[in-house]
Amino acid sequence: MTRTQRVLRGLIVIFPFAAFFVSLFIGSWHIPVKDIVKTLLSPVFPSLASGFPDPEGYVNTVFSVRLPRLILAMTVGASLSVSGAALQALFKNPLVNEFILGISSGAAFGASLSLVFLGAAFPPQIAAFAFAVAAVLIVLSISRKSDSPIISLLLTGVITSAFFSALLSLVEYFASPYALQALFNWLMGSMSWPGWHELVVALPLMGVGVAVLILMRWRLNALSMSDEEARAMGVNLRRDKILVIGLATLMTAAATSVAGIIGWVGLLIPHLVRMMVGVDNRRVVPLSAALGACYLVLADDLARSLASFELPVGIFTSLIGIPFFIVLLRKSKKVWL
Amino acid sequence: MSIRIRDLVHRYQGFELRVPALDFPSAALTAIVGPNGAGKTTLLKCLSGILPSPRGSVFVEGRDLATLPEAARARKLAYVPQEHSSAFNYAIIDFVLMGRTAYVPLFATPSDDDTAAAMEALDYVGLARYAGRAYTQLSSGERRLVLIARALAQDADSLVLDEPTTFLDPKHETGLMDLVRKLAVEKKKTVLVTLHNLDAAVRYSDMLVFLKEGRVVSAGRPAEILSADLLERVYDIPMSILEHAGRKFIVR
Repeated sequence: MTRTQRVLRGLIVIFPFAAFFVSLFIGSWHIPVKDIVKTLLSPVFPSLASGFPDPEGYVNTVFSVRLPRLILAMTVGASLSVSGAALQALFKNPLVNEFILGISSGAAFGASLSLVFLGAAFPPQIAAFAFAVAAVLIVLSISRKSDSPIISLLLTGVITSAFFSALLSLVEYFASPYALQALFNWLMGSMSWPGWHELVVALPLMGVGVAVLILMRWRLNALSMSDEEARAMGVNLRRDKILVIGLATLMTAAATSVAGIIGWVGLLIPHLVRMMVGVDNRRVVPLSAALGACYLVLADDLARSLASFELPVGIFTSLIGIPFFIVLLRKSKKVWL
Repeated sequence: MSIRIRDLVHRYQGFELRVPALDFPSAALTAIVGPNGAGKTTLLKCLSGILPSPRGSVFVEGRDLATLPEAARARKLAYVPQEHSSAFNYAIIDFVLMGRTAYVPLFATPSDDDTAAAMEALDYVGLARYAGRAYTQLSSGERRLVLIARALAQDADSLVLDEPTTFLDPKHETGLMDLVRKLAVEKKKTVLVTLHNLDAAVRYSDMLVFLKEGRVVSAGRPAEILSADLLERVYDIPMSILEHAGRKFIVR
């Protein structure tokens, strides 16, 4: 590891903490810095909250609005980045992501089906996960029979995503105007806090996925070798592939079901991390989690502070991500197929 | 005999590899030769667990390969592919370190001992100074050495190499074959290698195996089995053997 890489690694580690505190101050209601700190400490030291002009309001804003939203954005950002990094290693191609594998469109269709026909009270994660798994299985079962697995994987991914997008349009066509409006907002990606009861499933799923893939980070190096090499080195390919694809599907489905479609995070962040610290997954996976968490927090800060009303964060991640990615691709000058 | 084959049959798209019985001597170099499509690579892949071998057909140190778990098999036998290409440009030391996969649990990262073993393997092939470099910065000869170092880091008693000298110039070919020979003599490894260069096979091996159309035509010590007649039967072109300075040379 070179000196520059060490410095960059240090920055990526500090970054999420900085993003966390900065984002706590951003919001339509201005709360002074020292009052935010006091409010954060008030559950432990109740006497600190006594001097506030509106103690109840401060506590509510920090603990029921800003903090949960930050936790959600960070978890979703970390999940999408880590699952992206893991899938890229497993499929030996830095362009693979949850969209290419159809996970996102499958999850989006499943969640919208559930929202429109089963109502908002029924947790959409179940259907999101079921259809995400279905999409992955379709992509993998069609592409594995080909002689050129990567190209056919990309092609089947595009086809499967298109198929689920068509099904999604069908759901939209049959949805009531009221459900359609909710669905529309959700699909564009949003961090508006859905409430604790809807997150009791999704947050732990994403947390477990991130944690397990971080634990597996070194194995991802061996998995990024050709299947023959990996097998000869003693990797239980079948088990490890099922584990990585299963976790990535679970995390993306959970993230999509609570935050909608957040594009380009899983592709951009691991790429950026590899450019900064090299390709060793022992560094790439945990640092992708850190950088992905702050990227989504900052994108969400932009989304809720640029206009007087909230903009969908999914639009921002795509608008920032795509041009940035084009620059990266041009700089790297490498053919991936 | 650390590697034994008994009634190995592998069929793939009309091709059939059939080896009734073949034993590879321990701490010795066995060269597998034969024309293109004879089944050399298929045989190596059956031996190294890349292709599934039926129960009771391949035994490594007395254990049936088909019933050994992946990691246990990899600790006994390491495979060196002819080439490696990857979208990810790992540093040489990280690349060699992957040879320790069979010793590191799924949810763990390599220990200092693993890193030391990888460094030692890299040193053995003479590339320790390149530890921090990227794989793509190496020449093709150096890449072959790094692949061997990764297999050495695997710390297995048997090593299987698939055409390690193809596309190498004479100097690098000799250097690489000297190293492979050293693995058998100095490190006491059971080394199996497929080769196209018959002179190298005759010069370096303790045992020669001639394969043709998925069958073993002849196997034994080079001095005992090598004949112009055998070569013509295997390669379908006339060849003669010349002797010079106590060594045999094959001439077409």
